[in-house]
Amino acid sequence: MAGTYSDVVIVGAGPSGAVAALELARAGMSVTVLEQGGWVAADEFDGARPEWELTQLRKWHPNPNVRGRPEDYPIDAAKSDINPLMFAGVGGAALIYGAHWVRFMPSDFRVRTLDGVADDWPFTYEDLAPFYEYVEEAMAVSGLSGNPAYPDGAPCPLPPLPMGRVGRKAAHGMNKLGWHWWPGSNAIPSRAWRGLQPCVLRGTCGTGCSDGAKATPDRTHWPEALKLGVRLVTGARVGEVTTDAQGRASGAVWTDRGGVRHHARGDVVILCANGIGTPRLLLMSGLGNRSGLVGRRLMMHPYAGVMGIFDEDLESWVGPAGQILVSMQFYETDVSRGFVRGAKWNCMPAGGPQSFRAGYTGGTLTEGWGAALHESVRRKFGRSFEWGIIGEDLPDSENRIVLSSSLSDSDGLPAPEIHYRMSDNTHRMLAFHTARAVEAMEAAGAIATEVTPLIRDCGWHLMGTAVMGTDRERSVVDPFGQVHDVPNLFVMDGATFPTSSGMNPTATIMAVAARSVLHLIETRSDLSPA
Amino acid sequence: MTLTQTERARLSEFARIMLPGGSGMAGADDLRLWNDPVDRVLAVEPALIEPMRRILATLGCVETLNDIETVARTDPEGFKALATVLANAYFMHEKVRAEIGYPGQEARDSSLGLSEADIALIDKVRSAFVTWRRSC
Repeated sequence: MAGTYSDVVIVGAGPSGAVAALELARAGMSVTVLEQGGWVAADEFDGARPEWELTQLRKWHPNPNVRGRPEDYPIDAAKSDINPLMFAGVGGAALIYGAHWVRFMPSDFRVRTLDGVADDWPFTYEDLAPFYEYVEEAMAVSGLSGNPAYPDGAPCPLPPLPMGRVGRKAAHGMNKLGWHWWPGSNAIPSRAWRGLQPCVLRGTCGTGCSDGAKATPDRTHWPEALKLGVRLVTGARVGEVTTDAQGRASGAVWTDRGGVRHHARGDVVILCANGIGTPRLLLMSGLGNRSGLVGRRLMMHPYAGVMGIFDEDLESWVGPAGQILVSMQFYETDVSRGFVRGAKWNCMPAGGPQSFRAGYTGGTLTEGWGAALHESVRRKFGRSFEWGIIGEDLPDSENRIVLSSSLSDSDGLPAPEIHYRMSDNTHRMLAFHTARAVEAMEAAGAIATEVTPLIRDCGWHLMGTAVMGTDRERSVVDPFGQVHDVPNLFVMDGATFPTSSGMNPTATIMAVAARSVLHLIETRSDLSPA
Repeated sequence: MTLTQTERARLSEFARIMLPGGSGMAGADDLRLWNDPVDRVLAVEPALIEPMRRILATLGCVETLNDIETVARTDPEGFKALATVLANAYFMHEKVRAEIGYPGQEARDSSLGLSEADIALIDKVRSAFVTWRRSC
């Protein structure tokens, strides 16, 4: 088997892998990164082309089972209420994320203390705040500082994107009710920023930015990392983290697209393969699972949506998409509502005309065709928008990934099998929030509303499956991502999160990765074998 | 790989019923949707041809949506492909886009930022809220 050596081997070139690789390279360490996907150039995305709505159905679909690219591994989600979503490529799922950029709230780090459920994080919002600031600069976050939902106002380095007609309509409704809202913060520059172009407000962020504007690690981190000598290997599917006779990580075995196996050796191995890929790799390698928690506590953020339909033209295909507004009105726990924790709302444009065709209601196959299609498009297109609701998902050890005994990827590696059920708490939470969002739409003047109580293809936020903590019996990694059982093996993605918050997690994933890798750099001499 | 004339004729039967026109929008017939517009879709997503062909090969006349529903239930995946092809051919058509006032995902200037009216709306929030919760 062909072999290479570097100080550090990283698995995954998405947001956390990019942060780790760049900082290690800046510190003068040699780094090899193994990424199963490839590079995607901006002009490969279809946002500026008429076929944008067509190619999002398969080519740019976030569900790897639908997309079915050679670099994707299949996922058995038959036993899950939600489909996990991801993208294999340099930049990871960020390539097709909405770039909603929100910090967790201070209370998210103290869930056990404040609400008596789940666990506290081993550090606080205040501990993480400098790292948020650090990654927000790199990720060109546009937004309005001073959000009263945050103690420090959640400052943003770039001015906000326009609210547009949709944002103003939604804001009027919220003000009428006296409810909190704020212009959305997005990792989408409103001005040219380093290597990024300014946003041009196409509403196509979720299928890739064809204008080179949206901040994704392939544009924000990888150019410098490569310049500093990081060796990034694409088309590299990792099947095993190897160990030496002392039980320390010695590298990773990977297979190239031609089926040839390689061994990337290193003194340190860092897993950044997301909340599904990382525990899958730990389970395949038989590592780090003394606590029995590898793969367990999977959190994916059940997502509901309320669409309001208005009797005026809102140009609701205009971006960003992206979040135009956010609301934390019902984010914090109020036990009188019948559940604990809460949800963030994001106001989103409604997209192109195909959003309004055919039935998604479980009715007939031809529902929404014929005269009904023309009426529906005329009534809704450009005249509607959505309040999306991200409900906090509390950890449950029965929600987990295991290795499938019947499904495998193209290299014969076992596929992840997802066991995930929404809790009663989450059901009550989403019912409450959708009812409030209907009120918000009506206050804004909606002539009709449509509620989607749960969107199955919503598992963007993969967290919790290699949980961090100080107790080795109740966690997989320490507060800096170091695997308790294997001192030179680290996890630096969302798998380490003790709780999920109700926020889009990329900001926190990158901030926690920055915190962990800088600590690793400071303490690296401690990792040498005795 | 293109559709045969027989397949196009069959596709036109479905298209006329599924997209009859109305509410100020053209119908499939006006656009001859089963010719160039459909070819444009299939050029981008050729994988849709085979499942759509299965539906087009079914027997029996289709004169109403109920007839199509019956055919669709014999092969939901095939129908999904056919529906995807027709819908995309229709909404990618310049005439339809003009009729519904959709310029496509055009580029606009994002540097305009917030307007004075927006700031006035925000000021109400700024003065009214402290929703964050102390964590200790």
